[in-house]
This record gives sequence, structure tokens and C-alpha cells, in this order.
Amino acid sequence: MNWLIEFPSMGRRDLSLLKQSIDESFRTFSRAFGDELEAFFTPLLKFLIFFEKLLTGAPWPLVIAVIALLTWLGARSWKITLGTIIAFLLIGRLGMWENTMATLAIISVATFVCIAVGIPIGIFMARSDWAQRIITPILDVMQTIPSFVYLIPVVMLLGIGKVPGLIAVCIYAIPPIVRLTNLGIRLVDRDVMEAAESFGASSREKLFGVQIPLALPNIFAGVNQTIMMALSMVVIASMIGVKGLGTPVLQAIANQYLALGIMNGLAIVALAIIFDRVSQTYGKRLQAYRETGHD
Amino acid sequence: MTKLIAASALSIVASAGAAFAADCGDVTIAEMNWASASFMANVDAIILEEGYACNVELITGDTTPTFTSMNEKGQPDIAPELWINAVATPLAAAKEAGSLVALNDGPITGLGEGWWVTKKFKEDHPELDTVEKVLAHPEMFPFIEDESKGAFMGCPAGWGCQSINANQFRAFDMEAKGWVLVDPGSAAGLDGSIAKAVDRDEPWFGYYWAPTAIIGKYDLQMLPFEAEYAGDDNWNNCISLPEQDCLDPQPTSWIESAVESVVTDEFIAKAGPATDYFKARVYPGEVMNGMLVYMNENQASGEDAAYEFLATQEDIWMQWVPADVAEKVKSAL
Repeated sequence: MNWLIEFPSMGRRDLSLLKQSIDESFRTFSRAFGDELEAFFTPLLKFLIFFEKLLTGAPWPLVIAVIALLTWLGARSWKITLGTIIAFLLIGRLGMWENTMATLAIISVATFVCIAVGIPIGIFMARSDWAQRIITPILDVMQTIPSFVYLIPVVMLLGIGKVPGLIAVCIYAIPPIVRLTNLGIRLVDRDVMEAAESFGASSREKLFGVQIPLALPNIFAGVNQTIMMALSMVVIASMIGVKGLGTPVLQAIANQYLALGIMNGLAIVALAIIFDRVSQTYGKRLQAYRETGHD
Repeated sequence: MTKLIAASALSIVASAGAAFAADCGDVTIAEMNWASASFMANVDAIILEEGYACNVELITGDTTPTFTSMNEKGQPDIAPELWINAVATPLAAAKEAGSLVALNDGPITGLGEGWWVTKKFKEDHPELDTVEKVLAHPEMFPFIEDESKGAFMGCPAGWGCQSINANQFRAFDMEAKGWVLVDPGSAAGLDGSIAKAVDRDEPWFGYYWAPTAIIGKYDLQMLPFEAEYAGDDNWNNCISLPEQDCLDPQPTSWIESAVESVVTDEFIAKAGPATDYFKARVYPGEVMNGMLVYMNENQASGEDAAYEFLATQEDIWMQWVPADVAEKVKSAL
């Protein structure tokens, strides 16, 4: 009755063979397609480098002015704008300017990539039930799988640095935008859709004229979530060689440097609050505008 | 009185004769918490137990606490792989006093830290056989984020070796020579960059240390420095400090990593003949790295690896012990 108590597992030899064959096939894949994949991502890398150089190379008053302007345009609130300016002045004063710019660069590009890829996937999911059935569990995996598990293949394929870091960030951060786009479109009132149909709107017109505008508050909630999750990946990304605020945090953890850790951690928090307030108030203003438009 | 002396002299002679045959008594071995030390401790345990009839107990530990315990309490008896730079001063005092004895000042060959290249690179460019010669050719290691520069893979942020590499980077004036010091971010990042380079036949130049599974698995080759070791003052008071505390680093070869097999005087008293085993026991670097690869790939414990080593590498360990002891160990496997 031993087999009842001890699970009949595959045995060490077979298990190790299985693991080795998985590793081996991935290695073959990496050898065969690694260079092509790297070439595919080269434009993205070029853009990332360009953007980071732009942020770190530009005069700091100009950078703060542009950020303040964007904040004002997004939030239309002098409180948030002033808070942003103060936060960036403090960051610079405390010697974290370059790292903050590097983080800002990768988070902005990651958000942009997530939106560009996530919204079309969300729309696709909203329009087809079977797509939703297939994609939802994939999103679940992406959100819950420990980052280090997928960092291994990413590093083997693309090495360490900005692009693998960006991919790691996007894998974790893209699900909310996909989910909320899908949800937002599915929540659009059926009566409104029928009305649009009765006016003879094509499916394209229905999507861009009715569904997406009405789903915008939800889509914005998704963008907001995606930005927050991207920021929370900063430290993980720095583990595969992405420069930015994560590197000093790692250093602080390894050496028990309390002040260094707290300062850089707070700089990440400051970025998060700014991104969050701006995207939220922008989303709210959009919603208010739509609502008044209905009246 | 004379009777007493004669009796005790007799008993010493008797016990010396008996030690080999029957009783070497209870022996404790420090099993440090990293792979190579765990493997060595287990090999020692099997050989002492089966070959020399000792009653062995393994005690888990780490360099400093284990050494302190040996120094203060005389327990454990044996530290098979003690990295002595970390405990240099108290160890010297204990050796002086005779309470601790180094039976072997190089139980593993080819160990240490330094700068490595891939095997393929070394084969393709046999003329670039020192660090300095490679430093003249940054174009052979293009940095993905700026192809005009060469990438030198440093040590992850927050590790002690990070400062050392950053200071050496400055000492060798590598920035002016067209190099970028890349921070791999973590051990996983550093290992991943090696795995990627070797699997794709790309060149790789950076920091690592041996004995490790990575070195064995990917067969990296350490490059010697042309620069001599520039002295302890340069190393301890500059190179190994954070960058801002090292104003004028001098180019230097790596400080010699010294490992010894250290035992207590009590062990020598009770296990006489077994000391010869420790004196003879030297693992060639490749063999040690190979065992670490075995452990890594099979997720084997130090004990598993010790049995594997004793079963498959007879030509190495048989030389460490007399023939009759070897037979005893062999028949016990």
C-alpha cells in the first residue's frame, strides 16, 4: 500500500530528463531565432535610448517645465501641478535626477507600448466571446506568475538591459488595460447600440463613434492601473540591468542602506502619485465632459 | 612514579597503534552553506567514516560563525573549505598558538575571482591572452545600447565585488579606452548574460568567480592580469572600498583568494593518520566545477554529489588515501 501514501511521481531520472529537454529545446529556439528577435526589438531599443538621452540630456528647468505643462493639461489643477514641480525639484536636490529620468523614460515607453498593444486586444476580446474565453486565462497567468520565472527566458533570448526589462514590465502591467477595455465596451448600453444600428452605423462607426467613447472612463481606469503596475516593476526590472531608481533600491537592500532605500523608494512613490493623479483627473474630466455632452 | 610514566607512555603507544585500526572517535565537520563546501564536507565525511572508522557529524555553518566556534570552543573539528581572507587576523593568532592547523593551503586549484571570457573567444583570439590585451579591443564586445563602446559585465549592485570592479574599471582607465561598465542588476542577470552569450557564440567579457557551476557549465576562461598585485594598501584601503572613498586606484591583479582546510589540534591528536588524507586532498579546479554543474543540473545535495564523485572519479580520490583505506571506502559505496 506504499503507493497510496507516497505519490507515484515520475522519478528523479525522468524528471531531470524532462527538465533538460525543455531547457535544451528552448536553447535551440534561442540559438535559431534569438538574433531575429533582437533585430525585431532594435527600433524599440533605439527609441528607449533616444528618449532617455533626451530626458537626461535636456536642461532640467526645461524638463520640469514640460512635465508641469503636461500635468496641467492632464489634470487642470494647480495643486497637482505645483506638487509635481516641488516633487521634481526635491528629487533633483537629493541627487536622484538621472535615475528618475531613466525610470520616467522606461515607464513612459512601457505605458505607451501597453496601451498600443492592450487596447486593440481588449477590443478584440469585447467583440468575440471565444477570444475572451481564451485570453482571460492567459491574462491571469501573466498577472500571477512570479516575475523571475519569465525573466529567465527573456534574459536568455534578449540578454540584459532595457528591452528585456521593458518586456518584463509589460507582461506584468498589460492585463488591466486589456481587461478594462474589454469590460468597458461590453458594458455599453444595448439600447444605445440598437439606436446606433437603427441609424445605419457600420460596425466600424459603432466601434469608434459609440463604443470606445462610452467606454473611455473604463479604459482610463485601465491606463491608470497599467501605469501603477509598471512602476511597481521598477525594482524587478533593475534586476536584469535596467538603469533607474530600482538600482539604488537593490543596492540599499543588499547593504542595508536605510536612507538610500527610503529616498529612492519615495522617488518611485512620487512618480506613482503624479502619474496616478494626472491620469485619474484626466479620466474624470473626460467622463464629466461626456456626461454634460449627453444632456 | 616511574611506573605511572611508563604506563602512560605505554598507553600512548597503544592508542597510537589503535587509532588507525579502530577508533578515531567523534569528529565534527563544518558543512558551509554553499555548494562546493557542502560537497567537500560530505566527501570528507564518507572517507573518514568508511576509511578511517571515525564517527562523523556534519554541522551547517558559514565562514565567520564557524571559524569563531572553532577558535573559541574547538568545535567543529574540521573546516574543509575555509576562505581565510575573511578571518585572516584571528586565524594567524590561532595558528601561532597551535590550536588550529591548516592541513592544506590549496584544497581546490584554479579558484578565485577575476575577469573571464568565453571559451570560444579565447580559441578564436589566442593572441589576446591577458586582461590588458583584451582591454585594447572594446570593439570585440559591442555594447547593445551603444555599439561604439565595449561592454564589460561588472558585478551586481550592492555586492562587495561591485566596488572592486568599479574601482578596477577606473584604475585601468577603461572608460577612456572605450568601455562601459554594465551593471547586470542581480546574480540572475549576470548568469543570464553568460548563458545567452555562450549559447549564441557571442563574445562575453566580465567578472565572475570560481569554483562555481556557471564557470564549469559554460567553461569560461579566466584571463591573467599583466599588472602585478599592487599591494595590500591599494587593495584594502582603495580598491575594495566604495568608489567615492577610493580616489586614486592603482591597476592591480586580483588579491589572491586563499582557501585552506583547517582543523583543530584535538582532531590531529585523535585522528592521526587521517591528517595525511587532508594533506593529499586537492581537487583540480575543472573537477570541482564539474561536480558543481552536476549538482546544479540534477539539483543534487552535497551528499548526492559526494557519492557521485566517489563512484565516478576514482582516479582522483584514490590517490589521496592509502590503498587499504581506498578499498574500505570503495566497498562501502
